[in-house]
Amino acid sequence: MTTTAGTSALGQLRSGTGAVSRARQRARIPADVSLILIGACFVLPLLWLVFASLDASAGHEARLPGRVSLDNFAAIMTPGLLFQPLWNSMVLSAGTAAVNLVAAVLAAYPLSRYQSRFNKPFMYTVLFGTCLPITAIMVPVYGLFVQLQLLDSMPATIFFMATTTLPMAIWMTKNFMDAVPVSLEEAAWVDGASGLTALRTIVLPLMRQGLGVVFIFVFIQAWGNFFVPFVLLLSEARQPAAVSIFSFFGQHGAVAYGQLAAFSILYSVPVLALYVIVAKGAGSSFALSGAVKG
Amino acid sequence: MRRALKITSLIAAAGFVLTACSPAAPEAETKTLKVVYQKTDSFTALDTLFQSAKQEFEAANQGVTVALEPIQANDDDYGTKLALAVRSPSTAPDVFYEDTFKVRSDVDAGYLLKLDSHLEGWKDWDTFDDGAKAAGLGDDGGTYAVPLGTDTRAIWYNKKVLAAAGVSVPWEPRTWQDILDTARKIKASDPTVVPFNMYAGKATGEGTVMQSFYELLYGTESELYDADAKKWVVGAPGFTDSLAFLKTLYDEKLAVSPAEALDANVWKKVFGEWLPQGKMGATVEGSYTPSFWQKGGSYEWAEYGQDMGVTAFPTQNGQAPGGVSMSGGWTLAVGAETKNPDLAFEFLATALNQKNSLAFNIASSQIAVRKDVAADAGYQAANPFVKDVSELVAVTHYRPATADYPRISAAVQEATEAVITGAKSPEQAAADYDTAVKGIVGEAKTVAE
Amino acid sequence: MAVSLRRDRSGHRRRHSGLRRQARLIPVLPAVVLLLVFLAGPVLWAFHASFTNAALTGRNARSPGWIGFDNYARLLSDPMLPLSLGLTVLFVGGSAILGQNLLGLTLAVLMRRARRTVAAVVGTAVVAAWVLPEIVAAFAAYAYFSRDGTLNQLLGGLGLGQTDWLYSFPMVAILLANIWRGTAFSMLVYRAALNDIPGEVTEAALMDGARGWQRLAFITIPMIRGSIATNLMLITLQTLAVFTLIWVMTAGGPANASTTLPVLAYLEAFKFGDIGYGTAVASVLILIGVVFGAAYVRLLRESKP
Repeated sequence: MTTTAGTSALGQLRSGTGAVSRARQRARIPADVSLILIGACFVLPLLWLVFASLDASAGHEARLPGRVSLDNFAAIMTPGLLFQPLWNSMVLSAGTAAVNLVAAVLAAYPLSRYQSRFNKPFMYTVLFGTCLPITAIMVPVYGLFVQLQLLDSMPATIFFMATTTLPMAIWMTKNFMDAVPVSLEEAAWVDGASGLTALRTIVLPLMRQGLGVVFIFVFIQAWGNFFVPFVLLLSEARQPAAVSIFSFFGQHGAVAYGQLAAFSILYSVPVLALYVIVAKGAGSSFALSGAVKG
Repeated sequence: MRRALKITSLIAAAGFVLTACSPAAPEAETKTLKVVYQKTDSFTALDTLFQSAKQEFEAANQGVTVALEPIQANDDDYGTKLALAVRSPSTAPDVFYEDTFKVRSDVDAGYLLKLDSHLEGWKDWDTFDDGAKAAGLGDDGGTYAVPLGTDTRAIWYNKKVLAAAGVSVPWEPRTWQDILDTARKIKASDPTVVPFNMYAGKATGEGTVMQSFYELLYGTESELYDADAKKWVVGAPGFTDSLAFLKTLYDEKLAVSPAEALDANVWKKVFGEWLPQGKMGATVEGSYTPSFWQKGGSYEWAEYGQDMGVTAFPTQNGQAPGGVSMSGGWTLAVGAETKNPDLAFEFLATALNQKNSLAFNIASSQIAVRKDVAADAGYQAANPFVKDVSELVAVTHYRPATADYPRISAAVQEATEAVITGAKSPEQAAADYDTAVKGIVGEAKTVAE
Repeated sequence: MAVSLRRDRSGHRRRHSGLRRQARLIPVLPAVVLLLVFLAGPVLWAFHASFTNAALTGRNARSPGWIGFDNYARLLSDPMLPLSLGLTVLFVGGSAILGQNLLGLTLAVLMRRARRTVAAVVGTAVVAAWVLPEIVAAFAAYAYFSRDGTLNQLLGGLGLGQTDWLYSFPMVAILLANIWRGTAFSMLVYRAALNDIPGEVTEAALMDGARGWQRLAFITIPMIRGSIATNLMLITLQTLAVFTLIWVMTAGGPANASTTLPVLAYLEAFKFGDIGYGTAVASVLILIGVVFGAAYVRLLRESKP
């Protein structure tokens, strides 16, 4: 065993990378097979969504539709059922992401550029804030909204949702900002520009990819959020798709699985597209390492 | 270089504009009445009622807009959403649809407006049945809500299924044992049929107690609440017996499977599939049952008048009065914080006038509470069962009208769920219920049987 | 250059008045205000409300009273607490610490060996479940595990018995669903971590004849220790807060067999209208979060000088 290993190592040394890659090639097959098996398990639950949405008589099981039809999509394409909730989701998510971006950029600049006794404890508090289980504070948040008479208010819900993702957004923004060399601002400072001018003219343009990542990251989170609008937005006219799809399911539970699936797909497409943009543009692991590694 | 910033600020600005645009405050100029009620794909009668009342009311009151805000949810979720909304003055509706069993606790919470002064000047109030009027009373004796209709509960059975199993129809079970005997007979003759369904578990909410457990409990010697002493009953043998009966039904697979029973939509299958398709022998359901099957209902079934039969739920051992029914029903109430109490009441009165009440009572198969509606020929001929279910008022019971009731009901539902899933024995579940009741109302407000 | 500038400015700073120095922190204010009002506020409110008998309806809705530790005393004697805590631990331990974490690591390791296209395709499938809105993922999982769902269809095809998963084994269904939903996060973290390992290290180990699992156990894992700790902490906290998935799939049932702490808090506060008791449950959850959060912050501080 040792000898074979020794010779093969020797062989690898002689023939250089060629042997290594051949060894790798051999190692690939079991890896490929196991990956494909695991991947299949992940795809299975999603298959139902696709099949059922095209099947006018869909049930719970994933089966190829007997006759592919777009009836389900046609049935839900009504203003009340689809467009209004999607528009509400859009307003909520874009608003949340915008509030986040503004607050996070403003907060990140001094934290990234000036040393202060305040920085470290603040960043650790922020980091700590990312850990709060938001579901646990929904009961008190509801109470707070009642007291402040903010229930069923879009702007208030946006600010609350923005706050829940703000710690993560500040953390990411600061990391992206740290990556912009300070030397570039030197000239501006020498010219007498204030910090905020330097931020606007020099730092932000250089980190726009990072800002895009933060915006999309927050947008996706807000778009998928169910529990917060479920508790805070009461009138049908303001409910986002996540909540309306839930009542839709509760109402039609016994019958319209195909429509549920069709709705789910239309509702998911925007975030899937946004995710692809981030993954293609910046590399998801890049965005993630900005978020996780600190 | 600056473009990124511009885009960012544009997005930010757009976000703020969007939020600013979204509807928030009602206009100050015209007065708006906010009306909140329940609407589901199988319950649209109320929506129809309010649409018509809105037209009528707006025509009579220039400059007043009625904003209808239906909540799409089942009874339980509707209750939660309504409770969340009435708690805050900014979202509290002016007029809303309120379950009778919540009236007292919501009066206690200060959510409902006392209507006595308004009712005095409303001549229609005299046409309301006195028994039904009681549903709107608060603990102080004042009236806080006006009933839309009432209901009773009975056994609805499919004559064809019973006949196929050799049971003679009309079927009139006298005791619990009669029910089990018949159910076993059906099961033996066709194992694919669900012989006798009774709801259980938390998913069906009030349905579990109103259309199942209380028919059992009120047919025993025990009761849920001692109305004279104003105390909740614990340690009741009838409570354990009732749980044991449910356990027998579910253990012997005479009812639907526990998994199906714990689906909040199970009743839709009962009305929409199992009974019409002859896959269920009988179930305990409300007098509103025909509303699902009649023309325009959610599960139209032309032959239901011939195929279905209705009979009273029997007492445990056939003791007097020989039958048990439960009555509930829904009311309309005015929010305590309304800025226009007079207009709000006027809208309520419009919604409940003879014409609208008649249409609603027929469409939703409610038992009329207005004498002029009850006497109407169109109402009496609305479905073949009007007479049968109305007669059950003689043996009907009402839920304890106390503020604690909703939590007690939840504890009862919990006990039924524990028993049918096999998590607890009937004795254990009843003992845990007793503990729960003492925890909810305090030991002093309970009485041991 | 950057360093010199920073040092220069900090030297310069000493000459500024304290006021100027603090003025530079003004931009942080909006964030601080938001965090105070919407995060710190509710947390404090939660602790406060958990000492009252605030309710959604009934007389206590009008004028909640201070009842001291009654809610906590009731909670401690409530048989639901040990059940719910146990289920929460099972849920977090089974689906996050074991499931997502191990599966994520396995995927990341396999992806380094597998063909690039295979890795990309499988990676997309795993990530898709994670990117989907949570309610859609929950519906898909519900349909998958339901009585006449895809899983039973598959088991039936293999000639195996069919089970009503959501009824008979609700926790198994929820655990698997959460693994399905959340593994992508661990996978991405570990892929990033593995990419940071210099190629020579693995190459050298390969030449030493170290077998796959040996390389993994003695070289790779010690090198990504920090990422593992961070990942464990984050997925624990995320899983602790999962509500929607459970709510859609089982609503905590049957007979409370899947009522984790977030579900219990919701049921008590909104379904049973007992805001005071519900916030007491929520407070316990917040405290657990605080403990894990503090541990996480400590961990990061230690890993960075």
